[in-house]
Amino acid sequence: MSRWRPSPDEERWLEVASELGAAIPRAAVIERTGGWRSTGPLARIALFCLGFVATALLFGILGFGNETTLLVAGLVAVLAAEWLTVAKRLHASGIEEGLCVAGFLLIGAWITTLIAPRSGYAVGTVETLVLIVAAGAAGLRRLNPLVTTCAVLAFVYWAGSTAAAHAIDQMIGGVVTAVTAGFALAALALALGATEYRRPSHDRMLDWLVATLPVVAYAQHATADAYAVLRSPGDGMSRLATAVLLLTLGAAMLFTGLRRRRHAPLLGFMGCVACLAVELRHVITLATETWLILYGLAALIVGVALDRYLRQPRNGLTSVAPTHREGPLDVLQTAGAAVLAQRTAPEPLPAESAVTPGEGRFGGGGATGSY
Amino acid sequence: MHTLEPELRALHAEGVIDDATASRALARDRGEVFSLHQELRATMYAGVLLVMAGLGLVLGRNLERIGPLAIVLVIALAAAACGVPALRAKRAGRVLTVAGDYLLLLAVLLASTDLAYAERQFTLLGPLWSWHLLLLAVVHAAIAYTFASPLVLAASLTSLAGWFGVGGMLGDALHLSYSTPMLGARALACATAIAAWRYVDHRARPDTPFSNVFDHYAANLAFWGAIAWCLEWPWLATGLPLLAALAYASVRRGLDTGREAFLVYGIVYAAIGTSAAIVPRLHGMTVSLGFVLIVVCAAAVTLWQLRRRLREPSP
Repeated sequence: MSRWRPSPDEERWLEVASELGAAIPRAAVIERTGGWRSTGPLARIALFCLGFVATALLFGILGFGNETTLLVAGLVAVLAAEWLTVAKRLHASGIEEGLCVAGFLLIGAWITTLIAPRSGYAVGTVETLVLIVAAGAAGLRRLNPLVTTCAVLAFVYWAGSTAAAHAIDQMIGGVVTAVTAGFALAALALALGATEYRRPSHDRMLDWLVATLPVVAYAQHATADAYAVLRSPGDGMSRLATAVLLLTLGAAMLFTGLRRRRHAPLLGFMGCVACLAVELRHVITLATETWLILYGLAALIVGVALDRYLRQPRNGLTSVAPTHREGPLDVLQTAGAAVLAQRTAPEPLPAESAVTPGEGRFGGGGATGSY
Repeated sequence: MHTLEPELRALHAEGVIDDATASRALARDRGEVFSLHQELRATMYAGVLLVMAGLGLVLGRNLERIGPLAIVLVIALAAAACGVPALRAKRAGRVLTVAGDYLLLLAVLLASTDLAYAERQFTLLGPLWSWHLLLLAVVHAAIAYTFASPLVLAASLTSLAGWFGVGGMLGDALHLSYSTPMLGARALACATAIAAWRYVDHRARPDTPFSNVFDHYAANLAFWGAIAWCLEWPWLATGLPLLAALAYASVRRGLDTGREAFLVYGIVYAAIGTSAAIVPRLHGMTVSLGFVLIVVCAAAVTLWQLRRRLREPSP
């Protein structure tokens, strides 16, 4: 039994408690989790933000004038996080994660002040790499999949912006180094996901990478590619290579997701399809509104067809919600519907100052097209 | 991959969980039952978002080529077509599926866009143009009740909030270029209207599926209104007690129903409101930051303690 983090067995029992909710008596959980305490997803998000904000405030109080305050504020935050872990036995409860991540970033920022000559926090610099490593270390310390994933995504972005990557791109004649690296990492995470892990958090770290890497790697490629096309128009090989990579990775993710019955590869597959759709847009000359509507209709048709097909479970696959418990995604869905509804409202008539009920307004592009 | 099968079997063998819970949990863990509900939601949401974004561009760019009347008719037809699956499900006595729900939302949004566009082109209501938001809220509510769709109800409540002059974001309620206390009053009036609507709905149909949507809208709008009042004297005298009362009610609701979101609302909004009320009256950056740090720490401790007392319902 470790004082610094839950053992794999204890972490597994925490996971069981989270899965079963009130179906399992609390006393039965406490004795198995070694006294480690966690929280729910929404409270975890809120507490993470509060911990992060607290560290930023502490840094502000210590003052911006001296670089040493970065180190002092960072150390205080990290020590507070460790105290919460060791003394209060908090794990994945948000507050200690927010403190730790912010603390590590501040310490990382202090280390960058020791680097000479300084080149700032532009992409591709050593300073940026130090911050990425700091975030990654905090994520690994806290077994936090979000933070480790953000660090890996930032690393892929950083690697694609280095002089070495640009040199390779010039040698090949296309902007494919970063996207290839990102896709290779996603494929590696997918392959590693086949191994059975004792710690659920390790599994989740790989899941997040599988789900997010394709889209982020492609996004960097798409933005970099736009500039490259301006410099050397007619770079067809780069596009073809990217499309082939997306197709291959997408097919592998779909196959793996269905075979393992895991959500992350299926989300990764959906990301690959979305990237492929954007890539196809460069090949087929269509007005923006036409491809938006066509792709939207395609998504709706696929969704309706899948929903109809899986209304009755087939080989265990179903479109029915697994639980009636309200989760963060339900809150997100309500917020999403509100955002969509708000966008369809009309733009206000000009120059109103009086504000009385019945004269409400909010901007929106749906009616006027003036986004 | 990881499996929790040994732990679940151990709990079942010890009699800690019953047969039904164990079999459900084991089936989920082994992937014998695998729901694509969330993936479908994401796909349908993306579809609706893309269609609406594309439509916005069509309206802006092709107005002169197509003509306003043709646009109004085409969008109305498209809205009617999107509503067909929901209508068929209703006639067959089936519950609306996730795809049907999103198509119905698209139908409603298309109709909103159509009405808003027609209103702007033909100025049907003239200076009373904003009343069409209330009309939309009523029509959407009727559709939501007809098809038991929480998504469409969310669209209706957004229109209602728009009619009251409150946007869908926190920044809209705290817009400093307008009169903040007045905006706060409107947010509170809207929250009261929604709370009353929720009460009537719950009284009429105790098994209503809409309570969650009402609760989230009413809570957020009420907190925005209270925070807006906390920014300015003499409204602050009412704003702070109101904020405290709302925070208490929200936390109470969260603990009673096992819904974590209401604990978070109660604590986080209370922290924001307290900071917004006090910080402008403090002198010096260090004192202000120190005060906010104390509030943040107090909020974190309170949220943690309250979350420990929360018992979530079974899956």
